Amino acid sequence: MTGFYLRWAGVIVMAITMAVLANKNYQEHLASISPEAVLAGEHSHATLRVQGMVGSGSLTGSPEEGHAEFELLGETKHLKVQYQGPPPENLRELKTLILIGRWDSGSQVFQAQDTALVTNYGFVASAYLIAFLVLVASVFSMSRKVTCLFQEIKESKLYEPELETHVEHR
Amino acid sequence: MMNRIIRRIQRFKGWFGAAAAFCIFYGLYLGLFDSPPDYYQGEVVRIMYVHVPLAHTSLMAYASLFLGSLWYLWKRDPLVDNMCQAAAGLTVIFTALSLITGAIWAKPTWNTWWTWDPKLISFAILLLIASGYLMLRTFVEDPDKEGRYAAVLAIVGGIDLPIIYFSAEWWRSLHQPLSISMRGVSMTGDILLPLSIMSLGLNLLFLYMLMVRTQMLYLTNLLQAKKGRLLSQVHLTQTSS
Repeated sequence: MTGFYLRWAGVIVMAITMAVLANKNYQEHLASISPEAVLAGEHSHATLRVQGMVGSGSLTGSPEEGHAEFELLGETKHLKVQYQGPPPENLRELKTLILIGRWDSGSQVFQAQDTALVTNYGFVASAYLIAFLVLVASVFSMSRKVTCLFQEIKESKLYEPELETHVEHR
Repeated sequence: MMNRIIRRIQRFKGWFGAAAAFCIFYGLYLGLFDSPPDYYQGEVVRIMYVHVPLAHTSLMAYASLFLGSLWYLWKRDPLVDNMCQAAAGLTVIFTALSLITGAIWAKPTWNTWWTWDPKLISFAILLLIASGYLMLRTFVEDPDKEGRYAAVLAIVGGIDLPIIYFSAEWWRSLHQPLSISMRGVSMTGDILLPLSIMSLGLNLLFLYMLMVRTQMLYLTNLLQAKKGRLLSQVHLTQTSS
């Protein structure tokens, strides 16, 4: 049974490594912060993802002009944003979205380069967790049962070499 | 013949498990970190890399139950009967997981957990058929009748497979149509690669689980047979003394 548990320990170590990497990737590349956090300087990365709502009546510029300016609303404060390049079609007033770009602390303007949809990562995480927890638990219980059955047959007095190759069905 | 093939493949069980683990971990890496988000769905599209392979695997699981049942009715091989029973249990697991992950994906994209769509209904029916197969096996006492009745049920239930596969083509459906068909492939390479690797990984995992579960049922039957033989020997000794 030791070999069996060692193999499973290896699988668990790999799964934990995968989960840690996924969490690290989420924190570094996917987690978004609020406009308040940007203004308070509570960030460490050069490229930021800021989530907020495009302020009503604040959007100026167009795809033809190749740039746009607007205000991104947070809970209590708002952030001045300059969108560099033609703004995408999902950049509309009163729309909640994520802006990707850099914070210019000198001019107090957020220089946005791209947008992303607001995602509830709970759906993604729960789908993967449910699927793989059930599969791993099933494989573990089946493999353990097989190992136990082998031991029971070998160790108990029931064991006797089969004379014929045909196996009785129940 | 089938008995020999199953026994021979069983020797490579560990390799199937290792290959499945490698493909799944690599597929997870590609699906979660490397592939781009969808323009309309954003990051939620990553659920596809687990939902679609689970759905493919559940179809494969039932297909193996269907083919195994045909073989059992022809040859009456008890090992194939064990394999069919194992495949039915795995069909239930993979189909249920496919429905659950599909519901989790449907909520942010369709704004509902469930809808009476032909593909979803036919998939739920597959779950009921596989569950019914397992229930039937527990209700019938005679092992020979149990195997025969269950095989007939599995063969009749096989009609659900083409319905599931082509439902999005045959009827106006909310579920998206086939991405890989005779018309060509309607997805880019950076989405197709993780999807294919995850599908391969889960199909290999299914084969590994099928081997382990078949072995489990075989050993359980063997143990029961040995216990029965021992009991009859004791009974004979007692009656003769």
